[in-house]
Amino acid sequence: MIWDNKKKNNKIKPELWLYENDITIIRYLVDGLLVFNSENKLFLINPAAERFLEVEENEVLGRSVLELSSFEKFNPLVSMLGGGLEECFKKELVFSEEFILEVTSVHMRLEGERVSTLITLHDITREKLADRMKGEFVTLAAHQLRTPTSGIKWSLQALLDESLGKLNSKQKEIVQEAYKTNDKVIYLINDLLNVAEIEEGRYLKKLSLSNIEDLIESAVGDYREDVRKKNIKIKLIKPADSLPKIMIDVERLTLAVKNIIGNSIKYTLGGGSITISLFNHDKYIEVRIEDTGVGIPLSQQNKLFSKFFRASNVTKLDTEGTGLGLYIAKNIIEAHDGRIWFESEENRGTIFYFTIPVRKQYGEFLTEEFY
Amino acid sequence: MAKKILVIEDDKFLRELISQKLLKEGYDIAEAMDGEKGVDAIKAENPDLILLDLILPGIDGFEVLSRIKSDPSMSGIPVIILSNLGQKDDIEKGLKMGAVDYLIKAHFTPNEIVEKIRSIMKE
Repeated sequence: MIWDNKKKNNKIKPELWLYENDITIIRYLVDGLLVFNSENKLFLINPAAERFLEVEENEVLGRSVLELSSFEKFNPLVSMLGGGLEECFKKELVFSEEFILEVTSVHMRLEGERVSTLITLHDITREKLADRMKGEFVTLAAHQLRTPTSGIKWSLQALLDESLGKLNSKQKEIVQEAYKTNDKVIYLINDLLNVAEIEEGRYLKKLSLSNIEDLIESAVGDYREDVRKKNIKIKLIKPADSLPKIMIDVERLTLAVKNIIGNSIKYTLGGGSITISLFNHDKYIEVRIEDTGVGIPLSQQNKLFSKFFRASNVTKLDTEGTGLGLYIAKNIIEAHDGRIWFESEENRGTIFYFTIPVRKQYGEFLTEEFY
Repeated sequence: MAKKILVIEDDKFLRELISQKLLKEGYDIAEAMDGEKGVDAIKAENPDLILLDLILPGIDGFEVLSRIKSDPSMSGIPVIILSNLGQKDDIEKGLKMGAVDYLIKAHFTPNEIVEKIRSIMKE
């Protein structure tokens, strides 16, 4: 390789290793390219980057990061990467709705020493627009489906009431099945709307300083009837000292907790038990939800949080799941800067863990990127 | 005399289902299919209770509710919101504007809606 040959000759500065040919290729690249030298001064800028950042090569070449930040379009890029030009991978830089770049920054090293920084700028405006349109389509379609599903629910209920005439037992059974199936569609529509909101990135709406014990207690309370019907024991263990209040979106986090507990109940057989415990780790609160359920097959554990995924051993047990519950839960918890993970053994049970940090401002989630 | 309920709902199928149910329960029924006609119907029919959908052609349910509550001749009539919107914000907004209850269509059956109406009219 040319580079390797040049490397042997120590007298030549690293910057000069780029050959004419390479420069020509770089000039024609559709992605923007910036190279900074070891002193973080701009050494190379290609025409695509000039266009994206609205600068001319001759006014920016050789300038330091600090100097460059005075250029309008350069400024947000410098803010994102910091004065030391930190590495990053495919980070979104939003200039406006009509202009969004995906930025990747890599430190090029020679014998462990950083000799330059390579920054690529990839225009993703169209992709983001398509994404947004997809989200809007899902939202609109789901909303439009709500009225007819309500109509179906109401008319099936009218039949089940037998106010319009008596049904024989076979007819009643079929109408009951139809009613249940329709309810499943109603839940699916709700889940789809939640997913559309997650993917539009407008997920945390109303943050307030709240007590997570109350939230979990009320979530458990909502399942009291299901738990009784299935004959499952559910226990909530709180720490001796009361937990600090945390900044959360109560409606969203309740949904996340309910999705996790709901799964535990669904996939724990009668006679089993569920234990929910809360721990205070000062910097964060940990919630543990342990069940004696059917568990998650080892080979499928890595897909558990993917959209529309359902484990093979539960699709027979419960046909109604949408495969969206844990995807939604994970997104909500991560939007709170928390983490979620689990341990599971098939036919033994599953433990879900999640954490939510204590006393933190969440401004960054409401304003996209945070530097 | 039978109590009169005004159903403001743009979807014909849903309107008929709930109206038939209420008729069967012995209520008088008046119907309106959009916000503007809804407000007119309140004045003309003087109902004892209003079932109000939120997403309506023309003026929406929130606007209808605010007109009801700002007009002393109508403001005393209890309004139950019957909507597809299930967001907490919408529910809070509706209740804050003076609705007595907020029912999400997909989660309630006509039977449960009748129960709500009964309890509100204290029959």
